[in-house]
Amino acid sequence: MKKIHQSIYYCLTVLTLFSSCNKFNDAINTDPNNPTKASGTQLIANSEQFLPTLSSSPFGVHYPQYLSNTSFPDNSRYVTTNFNFYGLYQGPLINLQTVITNTTLDASEGPIANQVAVAKILKAYFMWHATDRWGPLPYTEALKGKENFTPKYDSQQSIYNSLFALLDEANASLVNGNLKNDIVYGGDVSKWKRLGNTIHLLMALRLSKVDPTKGGIEFNKALTNGIMTANTDNLAYPHLAVTAQENYWYNSFTVLGRNWFAVSKPVVDFMLPLNDPRLPVFATKNSSGNYVGLDYGLATTVTPGNYSLLGTAIRQQNSPVYLVTYAQALFALAEAAKMGWIGGGDATAKANYDLAIEQSIRQWNNNDISGLTAYMLNTSVIYNPANALEQIGNQRWVHLFMHGYEGWAEWRRTGFPSFLAPPPNNNGKLIPRREGYPTQEQANNTENYKAAIAGFPYLGSDDLNARVWWDKP
Amino acid sequence: MNKKLLILLGILTCYVVSYAQTTVKGKVTDGSNVGIPGVSVLVKGSTTGSSTAGDGTYSITVPSNNATLIFKSIGFVTREVVVGERTQVDIQLLGDAKELSDVVVTALGIKRSEKSIGYAAQKIDGDALTMTKETNVIGSLAGKVAGVQVTGSSGANLGGTQKIKIRSVNSLTGGGSPLIVVDGTPITQNNFGGGENGVDYGNTSQDVNPDDIESINVLKGPAASALYGIRGQYGVLLITTKKGGKGAKMQIDISSAYTIDKIGNFLPLQNIYGVGNSQVFSKLANGQNYVNGNDESWGPKMDGTPIRKINSFYPQDPTYGQLSPFEPQPNNIKDFFETGQNINNGIFLTGGSDNSTFKIGYTNAYTKGTIPNTWLKRNNLSLSTTFDLNKKLTVGANVNYANNSGQRPTQGYQGSFTGAVQWFQRNLDINTLRNYRYADGTILNWNVNPNTAGVITNNKPSDWNNPFFDAYEVLNNDDRNRLFGDVNLSYQVLPELKISGFVRSDMFSQHITHKEPLGGRNLDNYAITKADGIDNNYEFLAQFNKNINDFSINVNAGANLYTTKFTQTSQSTVGGLSSPNTYTIAASVDRPNSSSYLRQKQVRSMYAMGSFGYKDTYFLDASIRNDISSALPSANNSYWYPSFSGSFLFSNLIQSKVLTYGKLRASYAIAGSDFDPFQTAITYAFGSPYPATSGTISSLTVPDILKNPDLKPSFANSYEAGVDLRFLNNRLGIDFTLYQQRNKNQVINLSVSGASGYETYVVNAGLIENKGLELTLTGQPVKSKLFTWDISLNYAKNKNTIKELYPGINVYQLDQNVYSSQTIFLNSSLNQSFGNLVGPGYKRDPATGEILLGADNMPISVNGVNFGSVVPNYTGGITNNFKIWKFDLGAALSFQSGGKFFSWSQMLAAKSGQSEITAALNDKGVNVREPVANGGGVKVSGISSVTGQPVTAYVDARTYYRTNLGTKFYDEWIYDASYIKIRELSLGYNFDSKILSKTPFKAIKLSAVARNPVMIWQKAPKGVDPSELSSGSSAISWIEKGELQTVRSFGLTLNVKF
Repeated sequence: MKKIHQSIYYCLTVLTLFSSCNKFNDAINTDPNNPTKASGTQLIANSEQFLPTLSSSPFGVHYPQYLSNTSFPDNSRYVTTNFNFYGLYQGPLINLQTVITNTTLDASEGPIANQVAVAKILKAYFMWHATDRWGPLPYTEALKGKENFTPKYDSQQSIYNSLFALLDEANASLVNGNLKNDIVYGGDVSKWKRLGNTIHLLMALRLSKVDPTKGGIEFNKALTNGIMTANTDNLAYPHLAVTAQENYWYNSFTVLGRNWFAVSKPVVDFMLPLNDPRLPVFATKNSSGNYVGLDYGLATTVTPGNYSLLGTAIRQQNSPVYLVTYAQALFALAEAAKMGWIGGGDATAKANYDLAIEQSIRQWNNNDISGLTAYMLNTSVIYNPANALEQIGNQRWVHLFMHGYEGWAEWRRTGFPSFLAPPPNNNGKLIPRREGYPTQEQANNTENYKAAIAGFPYLGSDDLNARVWWDKP
Repeated sequence: MNKKLLILLGILTCYVVSYAQTTVKGKVTDGSNVGIPGVSVLVKGSTTGSSTAGDGTYSITVPSNNATLIFKSIGFVTREVVVGERTQVDIQLLGDAKELSDVVVTALGIKRSEKSIGYAAQKIDGDALTMTKETNVIGSLAGKVAGVQVTGSSGANLGGTQKIKIRSVNSLTGGGSPLIVVDGTPITQNNFGGGENGVDYGNTSQDVNPDDIESINVLKGPAASALYGIRGQYGVLLITTKKGGKGAKMQIDISSAYTIDKIGNFLPLQNIYGVGNSQVFSKLANGQNYVNGNDESWGPKMDGTPIRKINSFYPQDPTYGQLSPFEPQPNNIKDFFETGQNINNGIFLTGGSDNSTFKIGYTNAYTKGTIPNTWLKRNNLSLSTTFDLNKKLTVGANVNYANNSGQRPTQGYQGSFTGAVQWFQRNLDINTLRNYRYADGTILNWNVNPNTAGVITNNKPSDWNNPFFDAYEVLNNDDRNRLFGDVNLSYQVLPELKISGFVRSDMFSQHITHKEPLGGRNLDNYAITKADGIDNNYEFLAQFNKNINDFSINVNAGANLYTTKFTQTSQSTVGGLSSPNTYTIAASVDRPNSSSYLRQKQVRSMYAMGSFGYKDTYFLDASIRNDISSALPSANNSYWYPSFSGSFLFSNLIQSKVLTYGKLRASYAIAGSDFDPFQTAITYAFGSPYPATSGTISSLTVPDILKNPDLKPSFANSYEAGVDLRFLNNRLGIDFTLYQQRNKNQVINLSVSGASGYETYVVNAGLIENKGLELTLTGQPVKSKLFTWDISLNYAKNKNTIKELYPGINVYQLDQNVYSSQTIFLNSSLNQSFGNLVGPGYKRDPATGEILLGADNMPISVNGVNFGSVVPNYTGGITNNFKIWKFDLGAALSFQSGGKFFSWSQMLAAKSGQSEITAALNDKGVNVREPVANGGGVKVSGISSVTGQPVTAYVDARTYYRTNLGTKFYDEWIYDASYIKIRELSLGYNFDSKILSKTPFKAIKLSAVARNPVMIWQKAPKGVDPSELSSGSSAISWIEKGELQTVRSFGLTLNVKF
């Protein structure tokens, strides 16, 4: 029996040696593969990489009918109803929110106030883009991680108000001192300041139909704070001639070898008779050497060689993607003058309109203004107080070429150009006026999703036809 | 660590003086001289009793030297031996072959008699696994164990992933495969499978050599696996390899197999209409009709009209500029494939001396795939030996080495021609593509477009490479070296007490490369991944066995230290190769992608179990395990796992000629499941760098997964009760089990509203309940000298319910697939079964349930239609073995009822106009593709959403199938996975032993075998095999995106014994 006791003792000793303590070396459960501290400017740099996705979309380009499909025409015929906004929240917005709320930013990357202000400007820009597509969206309760996995949807009106306030904060807090790791402006905070105010100005203009009073006030506030003054202030994403940073359309046309996108007939038919110097940039000649736009939204496949495809300058590996531009701000000033939001009346409107066209041509044609003078002499281009709003609208539409979501928003707001028709033989589908919420929200955020739809300002369901708040019927 | 080991070894080797008592001692061995544990040793006519220890030794006090000892053990013929003058009585017990199997290996390798076990475990003999030389152990279990569901992949996959689930889905994530233990060594189950798309390099269980398996014991519920604690939540497969026997003459077993692989199960396609999206021929400028690189078959009738085929646009082609008739190519998919072959040779040497045993085995297998230029080579080497250093001290080692190298196909969308039924031309003669490269290096592509002048200006295919270019130039190679096994020492301290120490290791090194030259739709590129894993287990076990009067006591206590370390380095070129065909990362044009990864973890465990028997009739077991895991938050990293079970051998109390054996059993247990390390601390992730000319801008991103510092392990609670009955001397057997298992608080990546900033949150959440029954029937309806028939049937039915999710969340999203902007989700909803498929489907009239039609008479699509659960209702299998004179005939069949899956191939075959239904005759006898005005069109009926009235109309076939059904009506493409299939057939001839006695051979058996020969019935339409939904490493197989074609194998096997 003694032996048994002894053995048990041995066993217990061994057992104890094996597992006596529940402490492990800390290193064993520390993830060696990923950083535990965040750099504010690196988070901003990552968010900036999402900027081109706001424009380079195979959906957005179709709503204002910039491009038509030579094959696989589903997108131009609005087959898709629901679009996912999760990527924007999980991508740039949470990165930016982390910068805004971070208490341990590193001043060696640039003044902390500027890191936060730049994050706010970008946050406002992404959010603005999103609410213009979907309408009501989670904002005040969004981006809170585990504090709220079912954020409520705020009305578009309240999101606009919040973003105006956010841009004001950013404008007021910017100080001298440049930032590191800035892809779009090389860290120049004066450009960031002008960008923030230009976004503010363009957002204000969106209220022209629904609340011109508020729109005018915000517009003037932004103008006073200082908007873009040159094309060098443009927010354009500088793609590079490397695979990881290449232009979406380069990937589509050249890498994937797909000649799926032709410039649509409305664009070519508008530009060609006016001998628009931008047309050779926007479009290629077809195999017969002519500019031929492809009818918008055909159900069948066509031979790409018969039509003008997207211009090669726009689909180089490093072609920039224009997002917020000086010319667009000038068109806004022209329209504001015409509406009486700012002073100067038709004279100011004309001056800005003419300059906007010039700056647009400079932007697209690499500062080459040959053909501009002749172009400005076209009867329909010459500023005409009687139909100035339409002229501004049509010219802005041309200028915003390829920035489909923005061109579409302005079309919804102004109704210009008025010559866009829905795709033929498409079961009566109209040109969309918003995008549907991601299907995941029905499961992940059911009650708030339902409440958002119930709260649509002009009623309707979660489809492409309901209208967002500023798109007052 | 080393210190601990030294102490352990010290204890094991220290000398212990034996008792100086007058006793009879000895060893009870079986036919192969292996000690039998737990044999009752009784002095006849007295109440004195003892039992044998783990190695078969015993010691008993006898009253006089003319005593008689009775040796009794289940599975063996009872023997009485007169002691006489001896103090050492070694005897051999002979087992009834049928009953020998009643000794089972349980958790931690503890051998116990089946009667004392209070939980369900099912044992499969090695012979049943290698009937037709299935090369994956997991695959060979299909249909053979009640409650075990195996989801395999086609044989064309060359050792692709085989998934196994015991008692249905017990995890909210759908994951959770059983722990695999080989001779006591838990082996890793890394999966290099990819998803539904890509190359499936398989899971590492395929490194176990099926030829080397003596038996597999499947521990199904937590009670059986409770001793594995944190690692045992999903059951355990205990694999015992072949062993030599002490004093046994050396035996040599040689086996050879040769099988050929034929492909089958083709999806029926139409052969009337060719390429195009309208029935009008495309014309060149010169007026010739021509075929372009379109990948759909909605074009003109293949009526022999002279046209320019794609080859005729290549100036290098002999047919350049020529017209040829536009004709159907009914075999243009089938003709791509080749006949595969399998060659498998193995040799096993077993034997032993008085104090040692050994086994040496080697198996070599070669498979040539059915997809051109694919192959797999495998070598398995194993060594198993024991050596008695003295009467008490035994050392042993088990070493298994496996090498796998392969050149593998790609599955899924844009895989190795797996997309051919999805997007292709019915008029394309595959044989004209075979010589894919012209002499000047130009690649012949079919998915490119000549311009109207007849010139291919851009020879880059838009979606589909020439399949032969893919097969011969786009190469996926892998190579893995694997070594696992243990060295062990055991010391018989006392006849009742044995202590053992084990050092177990499992290591592998995996190497995967991808090479792709210019000529296809991608830039040329090269990728390489190297992964290394090492798992070590340092284990100590003390076993105590004693019989006191009517009581038997069996106590085991042990400890384990588990360490795991995994590293992976992956690199791939970006932007092309600077020097063509130079496959090295250094050739990357842009900065190459590169990542390195390290994962490590430790678990410390202690455990004990006791089994108490009374009168060999009543048994009670209890066990407890403590695990401390480094992956858990340090404040809360220690957890306990208890289990209780009991059995009652009521047949001992009944005198019946009919009932041979009857046992009631019941158990309750908690087992656990841990998680991967690094889940508890928040980190950021690297974003793409931006290489600006002024210097590279680094970027950082907040990950989409929100981690959680408060995680706990999850627990499975299980209740189980069952009865095991044997009638008429084992001619009929019934094992029946009822169980309920509740797996609670699993660590899941909960899908949350992305507006929170995160896609998922890592939480402990949910409660998934499985209730079910398992039935195994074994019978021997006929038993005679010339004809014997053995049959066994397995059946398991399971009901699965999600009882809880995270507070406020009613749906848990497991997976999704997007195509044509339509999303289908695999969701689990509260109070429903696991895994519902939810996606776009018919909008129905609420009143009648009829489908709603729009103004154009096309059906109206709505999102969020629930198509039902992917979990089967019941599964099972039947195995028959007939022995007729010298012939053995075996057949294994398996079946499944229920479980939904989504067939993307069926959907796209309709969308692309290839499927037979897209060119069928309508009820007017006119082809649906004819204009509606001419009596064509597809007939649709439903309720008009415009008028609210029933409508029947004919609609344009292409708009119907391509734009509507094939895009957004998943009702049509989600199928029930029910099937009945024959998995294995074998007809063997045993050479006459009288004739062989004059030769060196002991036995020779020659068999004709067939693997996967027939799908007897499947509910889903032909063309997709529901038992082979290959989705790589993803936890649940619910979607088919281009399965590798079904393979049917036929061949011969030869087994020779010397």
